[in-house]
Amino acid sequence: MADSTAVTKPILAVQNLSKSFTTGGPRILNGMTFHQKPGQFVAVVGPSGCGKTTLLRCIAALMQPDEGEVLHRGQHFDDPPSWLSVVFQDYNRSLFPWLSVRQNVAFGLRGVSARDPQIMAALSAVNLEHAADLYPWQLSGGMQQRCALARSIVVKPKLLLLDEPFASVDAQTRIDLQDMVMGICRSMQLSTLLVTHDIDEAVFMADKVVVLSTRPARVVEEIAIDLPHPRDQLVTKETPEFLRLRHHVYTLVRQQAQKLPRETQTER
Amino acid sequence: MTARSLTITPLAWQAGTIVALVAIWHWAAIFHPAVYLPPIQRVADGYIRLCHGELLFSALLPSLYRLLAGFVVAVVVGSVVGIAMGSLRGLDPWVRPTLEYLRFIPAVAILPAALLLLGPTDQMRIFVIAFGSVFPVLLAATDGARRVDPTLIDVARVSGLSTIERLWRVVLPAALPSVFSGVRVALSIALVMMVISELIAADDGLGFYILRNQRLFQTANVYAGVLMIGTIGLILTLTLLAVEKRVLAWHRGWRGLMEANRG
Repeated sequence: MADSTAVTKPILAVQNLSKSFTTGGPRILNGMTFHQKPGQFVAVVGPSGCGKTTLLRCIAALMQPDEGEVLHRGQHFDDPPSWLSVVFQDYNRSLFPWLSVRQNVAFGLRGVSARDPQIMAALSAVNLEHAADLYPWQLSGGMQQRCALARSIVVKPKLLLLDEPFASVDAQTRIDLQDMVMGICRSMQLSTLLVTHDIDEAVFMADKVVVLSTRPARVVEEIAIDLPHPRDQLVTKETPEFLRLRHHVYTLVRQQAQKLPRETQTER
Repeated sequence: MTARSLTITPLAWQAGTIVALVAIWHWAAIFHPAVYLPPIQRVADGYIRLCHGELLFSALLPSLYRLLAGFVVAVVVGSVVGIAMGSLRGLDPWVRPTLEYLRFIPAVAILPAALLLLGPTDQMRIFVIAFGSVFPVLLAATDGARRVDPTLIDVARVSGLSTIERLWRVVLPAALPSVFSGVRVALSIALVMMVISELIAADDGLGFYILRNQRLFQTANVYAGVLMIGTIGLILTLTLLAVEKRVLAWHRGWRGLMEANRG
């Protein structure tokens, strides 16, 4: 695994990142630092409303931090780098309703027709070939998110950012999607950064879990997850090691959540 | 059987109403001859004369040309400026006060000034029609562009689209449903401005035709001209609806889903 090559330059380095929405206003992110090695699957968890989406937008260069920096393979970017792909949280807001599934997948590919074999390959990777000519609003939630996933892998990214991608689907679909995403990321040797509030999901899928504090968010702890691959929803989740890690992460997140002020916190 | 009779009945009622109106007119004109009530046969003759021969070229076609030219200018300018204003926030404070002021000026009021500036020309009439009908399109496009889901813009940015590509491939299609609602309003205004612009310093067009026949007490021709304007409005509206139905087929399904989610 790429993990073992300690000298490899990180594909992503978040260094002392701080961000507030208004100049001089309260900070959302406060001096956040962590690294991601090539091929690594990192999950970022934290209490809800702690600024996970803001972090992801800074990492994607959709937003610039106030202090600190985000380096992609050692470089700073003002706009999202071409090797980066994002799957957004709300699938029914991130697909173009006027484009068919096939055209949605082809959206980010320059000069490639929607009939190109690449498109069908990406669709078959997410088991959506049969729906290629449907429109997003004709699909179920899970299918829409698979379409968004196909769109993000068709460009053959090096780094895939997932912003709570399974948050709004039912439990069974969620499990299927987790297995699908893990399979794709491993077969494409993708570096993946998953932002989630689901601790089971984070521990089950990731090689490393980054636990965030409540606002202003900073990194509380980075936990290496050495569960063997391939992971199985039943077998892996019943191992003592999984339960131990889950217990540890859960305790950290709960400690943070208890520090939350009474008022409702919303992200973005 | 039930579905069949349900679909036919409204059509039958509509046809029946028209036949009844025509019959009333016909008998009224026979029993009470008056200048304002010409026999319907003469109105029909006048209507048909507008569709071919000399009147086709001196009344119907000039009007259609001005109407369509003014309308197209309004739709293009309104969409482009509106979408730019809606998506490039920096532009708004510079342009909006002027536009907010201009849109309260009735297009009729600028007619004399347009006549002075451009003379009794086609350009003058096209300008007046475009001025009158541009604002509904412009405001609808601004609104549509402003309400584009920010997630879609993020997707476009991650996909590496330039600002122009983003406007063309994301903002324009997303704003189209809104633009179309503005375009429908613009069409009816354009029709009004076409007639009005031809009542002043004109020597052709349907407006002029109606005005001249009114002065000559050719009431049947006046009515024929009015009916022709109604026909133009009807045909253009139906055409627009057909285009909209085709271009925005996705929108009905999508809106249905959004409403289902909300409910």
